[in-house]
Amino acid sequence: MTPSIFEELEIAVIEGDSEQCEELAKKSLDQKIPPLDAITNGLAKGVKSVGDKFSKGEVFLVELIMAGDAMKAGMSVLLPEIKASKAEMKTLGKVMLGTVDGDIHSIGKDIVATLLEAEGFEVINIGEDVSSEIFVEKVKEHSPDILGLSSLLTATMPAQKEVIEMLDKAGLKDKVKVIIGGAPTTNEWADEIGADGWAGDAVSAVELVKQLVGGN
Amino acid sequence: MFNLLGRNEISDIHVASMEVLEQVGVMIQHDEALRILGDAGAVVDDKTKVVKIPEHLLQEALQKAPGRHLMASRDPKHNFVIGDGASYYTNAFGAHYTLDLETGERRLSTVKDLEEFTLLADFYPTVDYIKPHILPQDVSKSIWEQEMALAMFRNAEKHLSLVALTPQGWRDVIKMSMIAAGGEEEFIKNPSFIDTGFNNVPPLKYTPEIIDMILECAKYKIPFDISTGALASASSPVTLAGTIVQGIVENHAIVVLTQLVGPGTPIMWGSCATILDQRYGTAAYGSPENGLIHAAFAQMARFYGIPYYGAAGVIDSKIPDHQAVYENTINVLVATLAGADVVHDAVYGIVEAGVTASYELFGISNEICGAVKRIAKGMRVTKETLAADLIAAVGHEKNYLNTPEALKYTKKHLLEEQWQPVLTERASRPEWEKRGSKDMFQRAKEQVKEILSSHEVEPLDKDVEAAMRKIIDKRAKGK
Repeated sequence: MTPSIFEELEIAVIEGDSEQCEELAKKSLDQKIPPLDAITNGLAKGVKSVGDKFSKGEVFLVELIMAGDAMKAGMSVLLPEIKASKAEMKTLGKVMLGTVDGDIHSIGKDIVATLLEAEGFEVINIGEDVSSEIFVEKVKEHSPDILGLSSLLTATMPAQKEVIEMLDKAGLKDKVKVIIGGAPTTNEWADEIGADGWAGDAVSAVELVKQLVGGN
Repeated sequence: MFNLLGRNEISDIHVASMEVLEQVGVMIQHDEALRILGDAGAVVDDKTKVVKIPEHLLQEALQKAPGRHLMASRDPKHNFVIGDGASYYTNAFGAHYTLDLETGERRLSTVKDLEEFTLLADFYPTVDYIKPHILPQDVSKSIWEQEMALAMFRNAEKHLSLVALTPQGWRDVIKMSMIAAGGEEEFIKNPSFIDTGFNNVPPLKYTPEIIDMILECAKYKIPFDISTGALASASSPVTLAGTIVQGIVENHAIVVLTQLVGPGTPIMWGSCATILDQRYGTAAYGSPENGLIHAAFAQMARFYGIPYYGAAGVIDSKIPDHQAVYENTINVLVATLAGADVVHDAVYGIVEAGVTASYELFGISNEICGAVKRIAKGMRVTKETLAADLIAAVGHEKNYLNTPEALKYTKKHLLEEQWQPVLTERASRPEWEKRGSKDMFQRAKEQVKEILSSHEVEPLDKDVEAAMRKIIDKRAKGK
């Protein structure tokens, strides 16, 4: 039995083969398969399976990231069709992530982003060295469910506090849940600055996001 | 004792590093630094802030960078020379949490913890100079580095390496160190009274704050280590050789900048690089690859004629257990045998890779490091120590415990030949049972309590302490 196009998409994602994903996505459109189905039953299934295995320590980070990239390659073909047909993409929620002012570390935050995408969240990664003002602007612009503030330097931790204060002033604090992370941060620091949560690693960050979104 | 790389490999690594230094360059987000490097002949892209450094600039800088330098202490009997061939050890750096000595509970670290760990570091013979073991959480961040410096000065006579986190805090710490050194003039004459350390942001980047503080060091010729923080397979190539090449380039950029600004400023060429564990996305410091990275960097540093400072001995285990002890041991041993001039994090009283301090583990690691230092001391081979005459005199019928000549010989050489452990249990089983059948963790706990209640350091002069406190108070008031 030849595998269905859904299975093929799933396998291409698991193998981290971006080119194959793109081709299969085109093929699925040619076959008049609804793009949402191709995502839900193919791409997303693949990335979820890799994400689950990563959480158990069964696959390597490099495989997770390549699976994420492969999914995005397939999505880039399918998304314009979805928009054109005005169908709605369902995600578990919208998460915005960024590294705070004065800090240009990206790796930890990017791992969290990849895992969240694998779980089915829409992730807006606004990069590193993001000023507190920009965080507030971006929250206004995108209305995420969760905002994640990353800081790897002891010296930039106060910027996490500043963002929360500025969100409060802008009247946005109740509209978005703020979580923090990064090597020098602690749960106590999260409490002190009024964050809604803290996670010490990428896997628990995903758990935390799920918990916070579920509580909405 | 341990040479990982052959001559051809050293040469290949050097050539690849020069290619990257000259053709890829390093991003330095500091306009003044870029101007200095550009004026000296480096190729600067003002837009991307990437500076490409020709090899001749590096060679000139290496000529100026000292191959060895004195580290001065409050009590000169603790002075030593980095780069004299020995491996000097420091304690660990920067725990936010502490496993409470009384309850064993994991709680936030305090200034009192910093004071106690500093006092222990002052006592433990394997700690040659002292790093801030604790980042206390009961102090306002605006006076963090300053409070830490004072706590350390109050509790040690050994050389102190103080923490530089922010340009403002670091300038205050320098001012406080001037007071402790006996005045600005005295400090300027001997700026190696303190030192500090910096990391880059891999791959190939430096932030403005770090460069600002490095320039401040170069201004006073305060020694510092510049340590690549590369994580193999995340922020540097998965191949260890590729990680070495990138780390060399990251470190060399700062050697060049520093020697242009403050010729002769002592730089320790360092690494806290390691591998990323691809299963969890975490840095794996207690890994065997970490030891190989240090061995290669130590050889390359020797090739460049600059002291090597390796953060070897870091523990990933979450508690002071068997994993903790093996992780600490393998990498301190490898780095020492590879000839690292400083093994930072050797006496590692911290678990969870820099996060949680453990008093008991500090005692255990002091014991491990004592044993490793004994191995590093090697074997004395002289006519006297070969003892052929004595072997002849004792012959076949007698032994070394019943021959007066042999007894005299043993007494003379015993302390040079045999390391005397403190926490290690080598007594007979009945004797061990008589002492309460305690494991090493319990023995370490008792030792720590004993040291904390008995070890004393010369208190700071009251006026000196008051003057240092004044700097902190002024900053706390936001002036």
